[in-house]
Amino acid sequence: MAQLDAAVVPPVRLKLLTTLTAVSEAEFSTLRGTLDISDSVLSKHIAAFEQVGYVTRRKGVHRGRRTTWISLTPRGRKALSAHVAALRALIEGVE
Amino acid sequence: MMESKSLNPTAAEASAALVEAEASRATLARGIAMPRRFFTLMGAAVAAQIATTAVGLGADLPWVMAVGLAVFAVVAGMQLARFRRLNGVWLGGLASRVVLGTGIPASTSYAIALGAAIWAAFDARWWFVALWSIAGGTAYALSGRQWLRTYRALPAVHGRGESAVWLVLIGVVALAGLAFLLTNS
Repeated sequence: MAQLDAAVVPPVRLKLLTTLTAVSEAEFSTLRGTLDISDSVLSKHIAAFEQVGYVTRRKGVHRGRRTTWISLTPRGRKALSAHVAALRALIEGVE
Repeated sequence: MMESKSLNPTAAEASAALVEAEASRATLARGIAMPRRFFTLMGAAVAAQIATTAVGLGADLPWVMAVGLAVFAVVAGMQLARFRRLNGVWLGGLASRVVLGTGIPASTSYAIALGAAIWAAFDARWWFVALWSIAGGTAYALSGRQWLRTYRALPAVHGRGESAVWLVLIGVVALAGLAFLLTNS
């Protein structure tokens, strides 16, 4: 049975990874707007995911401004799938 | 204490977290907007590319084919840059399926239109070349619109396209073809 991933358990982190599955790469402010969280909170979660290899970030330019682009790694995608499977098992176990 | 509680969510918490996460992804996908006349310009570039390829082969003018490829490359690059600037995201699926036409509807309609246009050009039926080129460009644009609808419905499935390595490889092959046409014209 799939295990919950401690790095993905906080709902905002699950939202972040799930949102990233919709794109190949997203600009920092686009993600912040979609998730409706502050710069510092988003930075903190991205840093945590980067540490475990679930996302990568790179410096780039958007609308003429220097900014950061974030993408999900294959490892992050795998971790998210396993975590979602564990959540679904948890839900089904109760129903 | 908080950490240990959050590591063991209840079924209700798990369900709410999943619903919220999927809603967030859907919000991003629904918010994706296409730059003005994106599909029209892509369709026109493909029509021009089909026409120039047919004319280039039919009239033995390789440089005409090279011009068509160059026009397509410039238009495609500009549209992708506009999309990225407008949305703040990069969609591999859009680049490969819509712009490079690797989706089945785009590649099939393109192959049929190109084949028919080349056949018409060898027969010097230039009106048919124009008609098949327009038909090919229109089908390409419509298949792009169709892709956008399927992406919005299932963003996790359709958001990613071929790998960057594969796209670079396609680009290199296209450039090599362009160079070959120019050096042999």
